[in-house]
Amino acid sequence: MTAREAAEVASPFLFHEIVFLDIAILAMMAGVGWAIIRERRLFVVVMLSGAYSLLSAAFFVALDAVDVAFTEAAVGAGISTTLMLAAMLLTAREARRPAAGMRIAPLAVVAVTGAALLYATTDLPDFGDPDSPANAYVGRAYLVRTPDEVGTPNVVTAVLASYRGYDTLGETVVIFTAGLGVMLLLGLRGARRSKYAEARRQRQAAARLENQLNNSDEDETS
Amino acid sequence: MSSNHHLVLRVVAKLLIPAIALFAFYVQFHGDFGPGGGFQAGVILAVAVILYALIFGVDEARRAVPPWLVRAGCAAGVLIYAGVGVATLIGGEAYLDYDALGPEHHHGQHLGILLVELGVLTTVASVMLAIFYAFAGRAPDIPDEEW
Amino acid sequence: MSAEQIVAFIQWAVSSGLIAAGVFFVFVGAVGVLRLPDFYTRLHAAGVTDTLGAELILMGLMVHAGWSLDTLKLGLIGLFLFLTSPTSTHAVANAAYTAGLKPLVGRFRPPRPGEEADDEGGAS
Repeated sequence: MTAREAAEVASPFLFHEIVFLDIAILAMMAGVGWAIIRERRLFVVVMLSGAYSLLSAAFFVALDAVDVAFTEAAVGAGISTTLMLAAMLLTAREARRPAAGMRIAPLAVVAVTGAALLYATTDLPDFGDPDSPANAYVGRAYLVRTPDEVGTPNVVTAVLASYRGYDTLGETVVIFTAGLGVMLLLGLRGARRSKYAEARRQRQAAARLENQLNNSDEDETS
Repeated sequence: MSSNHHLVLRVVAKLLIPAIALFAFYVQFHGDFGPGGGFQAGVILAVAVILYALIFGVDEARRAVPPWLVRAGCAAGVLIYAGVGVATLIGGEAYLDYDALGPEHHHGQHLGILLVELGVLTTVASVMLAIFYAFAGRAPDIPDEEW
Repeated sequence: MSAEQIVAFIQWAVSSGLIAAGVFFVFVGAVGVLRLPDFYTRLHAAGVTDTLGAELILMGLMVHAGWSLDTLKLGLIGLFLFLTSPTSTHAVANAAYTAGLKPLVGRFRPPRPGEEADDEGGAS
């Protein structure tokens, strides 16, 4: 009996290495989430939410869901962070502090929802249980029939693009609609600056010049 | 401060951007065998252009990937996807049943998945770029001092 | 002990050693980010984490994987990190310097508890 088997027999739950990894990643996610709540500087919030996405991608890898993990890493940690930064430039750098009374109601909602979810986990099937509803009916059928009917080694691709082609078409249309909405609201051209933006640019340039002048004054006096 | 203090960034970005674009196509065409597919590949392809825009300027990126192309790409992807469905209808099968596309049914399925993923790639990459252009185009140029 | 076993043992020892060294540098970097006085020195510590720590861990994993496709992929990730992480460290330092953040020079006096913390270079 190797040391690892012995450890597994001795305490099958906590010291199983995957469970240990899960707990570590989830703890880090909770920490980052707490930091996001406490932070008021939007730049830090955006970077932290990127870190949160990366951690959840790692968690999905631990759950053997590599396709989901890949999407989370590319979309959540990668491009969302970039787009959020681009969006942040159009708004303030700091979030306003909510009024004290505004904090109680959200806290109550979150607490009740969290408690309900925690209660619901007691009814979930075990992780990887072959007889769980997700694995038993269509899921098993896809696994059995993909080599014969579709022939792609990655069953996820077969389900996504072939068996569930309608869903994926819908998803593509959703993304298209999102892009359409942004284009209609903000426009694509952008090179043609509005009068307001031009005025702001000039103000900023003036302020910069003034700063430089002040700095050079300081340099001379010191 | 000298004017070319972005030199290191530019050199490294020039090395990396082709590699990122190549990786996007690897993810796209390797989706049958490993994790990946049109959604991830589209995002990665868009990231390559966004990195170019961040380092060389949005105007340069607009010259490389013009907005009309992005706008056309958004619609073209959905059109490709839905068009595959119409093609299968013409081939005598149900909508999006790729068996109609090939003589032997694995062949049809492979072709169908390939085309459909191409549509997803086109739409996702174009929409991500469109959103980036829309935001970046409105943002005032950030002076270096602010960062 | 057969030759194969000896090779396997050497492989295990080298990869463990490299990973342990990588973990050491990541730890040193983390301590440095928390303890060093100003922005530039903290950035220096963070750079150690990214470049030396991650590269050593990747090299350890490459040795662990042996001759396979995984080794090549890990090598490519290593090359990517080798190019990007020094570049990002450079970009951050460059941006900070351009923004006018002065490096802390002279003797550093750690703030005593109860005193106002002098966070000149830190929060940016």
